[in-house]
Parts: sequence; C-alpha cells; structure tokens
Amino acid sequence: MGVISRTPAEQALIDLLDGAEDWRAAARQAVIEHGLPTKRAEAWKWSDLRRASQGIDQAGETRILLNGKPAPAAITLDADTALKIEADAGVSVGSLEIEIAAGASVTLNEVHTIAADAFPNIRLEISLGDGATLERVIRSDVPMDAVPVVRSRIRVGKNATYRQATLSFGSKLSRHETHITHAGEGAEVHLGGVYLLEEGRHADFTSTVTHSGPGGVTRQLVKGAAMAHAQGVFQGKFKVEQAAQQTDAQMTHRALMLDERAEIDAKPELEIYADDVQCAHGNALGAIDETALFYMRQRGLSEVKARAMLIESFLAEPIDIISDEALREEVSGLLRQRLGAIA
Amino acid sequence: MLKIKNLHCRVETQDGEEKPILKGLSLEVPAGEVHAIMGPNGSGKSTLSYVLTGRDGYDVTDGEMVFCGEDLAELEPEERAAAGLYLSFQYPVEIPGVPTLTFLKEALNAQRTARGEEEMSAPEFMKFARAQAKQIGVSMDMLKRPVNVGFSGGEKKRMEILQAMILEPKFLILDETDSGLDIDALKTVAEGVNTLRAEDRGMLVITHYQRLLDHIKPDVVHIMADGRIIKSGGPELALELEADGYDKYLGEVA
Repeated sequence: MGVISRTPAEQALIDLLDGAEDWRAAARQAVIEHGLPTKRAEAWKWSDLRRASQGIDQAGETRILLNGKPAPAAITLDADTALKIEADAGVSVGSLEIEIAAGASVTLNEVHTIAADAFPNIRLEISLGDGATLERVIRSDVPMDAVPVVRSRIRVGKNATYRQATLSFGSKLSRHETHITHAGEGAEVHLGGVYLLEEGRHADFTSTVTHSGPGGVTRQLVKGAAMAHAQGVFQGKFKVEQAAQQTDAQMTHRALMLDERAEIDAKPELEIYADDVQCAHGNALGAIDETALFYMRQRGLSEVKARAMLIESFLAEPIDIISDEALREEVSGLLRQRLGAIA
Repeated sequence: MLKIKNLHCRVETQDGEEKPILKGLSLEVPAGEVHAIMGPNGSGKSTLSYVLTGRDGYDVTDGEMVFCGEDLAELEPEERAAAGLYLSFQYPVEIPGVPTLTFLKEALNAQRTARGEEEMSAPEFMKFARAQAKQIGVSMDMLKRPVNVGFSGGEKKRMEILQAMILEPKFLILDETDSGLDIDALKTVAEGVNTLRAEDRGMLVITHYQRLLDHIKPDVVHIMADGRIIKSGGPELALELEADGYDKYLGEVA
C-alpha cells in the first residue's frame, strides 16, 4: 500500500533510523511501507498516531537511565532500581532489555520525563525467570504536546509474579502498551492502571496477556476519569492457549465521565482455546454521584474538595496493588496533587 | 434562629419539567426548641429539607429563609453547613473508599476554616471523635470504615447522629420521612435528638409517623399539606393526627 505523502514525523523517523539494525530496521521499514498507524488500523482506531505526531519534524533523543546512569542495551537486575525515561523534543527511539534472574525480587520505579513536542518510541523487553518477582510502577506525567509511545513485552516464567501499576495523566496522545506472555504453572500477573485526563488529553492503555501454560492467574484492573474533550482508551485482550487449562483471569475497566463531552472507548476481548478456564471481563462507565457530592457539601466540604475526594476514592484501587508502601504513597500523593488542581 | 417566610420552591422533575412543591410555607424555630413537621406523602416535607440545605435543582421562586440573620438562598451548601445547618439524611449516602474519620476530619476543618477558626489537629480530632463515638456506642472500628458502606439502616442513622455530635451544628434538620425505619433505628434517632438537644440549638424533625414523636417530645408540631403549614400546635396535635388521620386537614386545603 502506498503512502500518499509522508508526514514530517514519518520522514524524521525514517531519517533517524537510516542504517539501523534489528528491530529499528524493521520499524523503519514499516514506516516506509505503511506510514505511522492511523485510526484505520484496528489496533489504533482510537489513537491516531500519524495525526497526533504530524507537527513534529525534527530528530530528538531518548535517554534511558538506571539509578541515574545511562543504561546499557541489556541488563540483569537483582535489586530495586529507578528507571528514568527522558525524551527531548523531536522524534526519537529508545530500547532496553531487562532480565530478572530466577528467584530474584525487584521493584522497578519507572518515571517518564518527556518534553513538549517529543515523540519518543520506547521499547522495553522484560524477562522474569522462574520464581522471580517484579513490581513495576510507572508514572507518566508529561506535557500536553508530548506523544509518548511505550511498548513493553514481558515474559513471565513459571512461579514468577509480575505486578505493574501505571499512573498516566495522558497528553495529546499517550500510548501505554503491555504485552505479556504468561507461563502459568504458579505464575501470577497483576496489572493495575489509572488514567486521569484533563481537558483535551488522551491516554491509551492497550494490553494483551497470553496464557501459554496451565494454571496461570491474571488480574487486571484499569480505572480512569476524563474531563471535557478528553479521551480514555482501554483495549485489553486475554488469550488463553489450548495448553493453558485452569487459567484464572479477570479483566475490569471502569471509567468516570467528569463531563458529558468526555470520550471513553473500551474494547475488552477474550480469546480462549482451552476448555477448563475461568475468564471474565467487565467494563463500566459512570458519572460522579451527585447525591454523594451534595451529601459531602452538606457536611461542609467545598464542591472542589468533595469532587476530588470522590474521584480519588474511585481511582485509588489499582494503585493498591503496589506492595512497596513508600512508593504507593508517592504515587497516591501525585494523583491527589493533580486532583486538587483540576477537580 | 430559623425563619421561613412565604417560601415558594420549584423542583426539577426527571423529565426536566419544573414543578411547584412549596407554595408559601412559613415557619419559625427559635433556638432551644424542637419542632416537628408532619404531613401526608407528597406534601413537600423532603423538599423543605433540601431547599433549606441548598441541593441543586431546588429553586426558590419566592419568599425567604433566614438562618441566624443570614439569607440562606445566597449561600452554597457548604457555606450553609459552615453557618451551622446540618441535615440528617433520610437515606445516608455510602461513599466507598473514604474512611469516615478522614471524611469527618476534613469536613470539620473545612467548616472551621470557613468560619475563620483554627483547624483541629489530627491527634486532637482523634481524641474528640473517640469520646463522642463512645457516648453513642459507636466503635472506632466502625469509624475507620468507608462512610456508611455496608452499614444497616439503624447503623447509618446512628452515624448521622454521631456526625452531628462531631460537627456540632447550631441547627439540625432530621429527615425521617420514610416509614421504613425499624424500631431500633427509631430509638437511635430519638436518643440522638435528646442527646443533641441544647439551649442554643434548634431542631426540625420531619416525619410521617407519630411514633417517632413519642420518643422525642417536640415543643411544637406543624402540619404540612400541599406545600404549606396549615396548622401548628403543641404535642397534642400529633396525637390527634394519629387518631383522626390527615383527612380533616386536607379538607382545609381544598
């Protein structure tokens, strides 16, 4: 399929990756052949990347830091680590491969610091060895004009536990992709996500969890709140392969429309090839409970404060999966701070 | 303390229409007195509690409501609360995820700040809340749970009274319109009213049934019908109603 004309961002990406190898070469080829994805692509139908990035025409830089130092291409972690992803204005790519050794237990504190007019394409490959535990906590608090696309592929070994909690305030377009291969056999995956979107912002939580071995457990809970002209996108897919009998997987997405002009798009999917499984998904949209709001104001709370408390109580649950208490408090604190400013 | 004069109020119905509910209601409750309002279903009793506390969708079209010298219609619901007006809800609202203690501490300090008073510190508040809870037989465990979540009807009523004991309003409106109160809840409400009764505090108890008034003993009983007070008198009026029903008063309206 021929692309009619390239956007500046597409051209900048093609130039940036000229002469690159491995996945970068494949990415470049894909942009040459198809352009950046638009809403005509099923997986991007609510997140038109080509359109959102079109004004970005220069090359930028992405830096990935581990405990403040530049990260190598691949690393094995066995202790708690701060992961910082920084991107300057312009088109950029970044990549990191992380291995958590069998039996190790690690907390990864991930913060995205993205400049305005930055369009970073980040690729993370994470592998959890048998019996390993990884708790990954992601905070994405970026300027309106940033377009971060972060795609993580996570392989979860037998008896391993992967916990991920993402807090995103969105931007013109923010894509948070998580693709998990779940070995089952005692392995557990807990995915928590929260988005709080001010006027005009967009956040996209797209995930697939593929159960490839028997007896795996997955719990996914994404909650969001969106103001006028903001757009929250949830695309969740559980795939259960034939070998993954006795899989126990639950997916829930709930969103609060803070304004009638907010948009929430959700596509929960189950694809099941095993016959002895427990899989469920739920999806619900709601508005602030006006009776509760009046009740709180009658007790003396200002409308702003009451609204913030109601939204916070609605959004807090996915953050509770963070077991590191100090980190959980930090994340809740950030959410509360932003709520205080916008509610 | 509370003076309502010729109050007219329209309520927005679910299909967006505005319907007049209060049609010239006048009422005065001095400090230290407990007044009861009784009336048949649909007479506008719950509407009165909401228009006094400022709920959205309850519009005053004529008349006035003055509380401690202030025109209530000019104030937001939270400003009315800070001025000392408290509504004990007919159906207390459940607020998942917000612990009762947190909620009350925030509410109390918001009111204090609005009145230009100093905030109560966390340890001070805990001590105060514990003492008040003990007095009415509520455990600290219950206070740590989210507001009203999973509580029985009676427990919710008890919490409404406890909230009033902690917020210490100047004036209470108790909306007990519903007939669904069981005998325990009824006694709880009555006990609470008697505990909160004070010389500098007024109360308005809205109810459909006389049996609540057996336990409360109001100073004045008002009968409401079709959006107005049509008769006021002593506690004997409630007994009369119990014996004869509302019919003879409804006749006066027509």
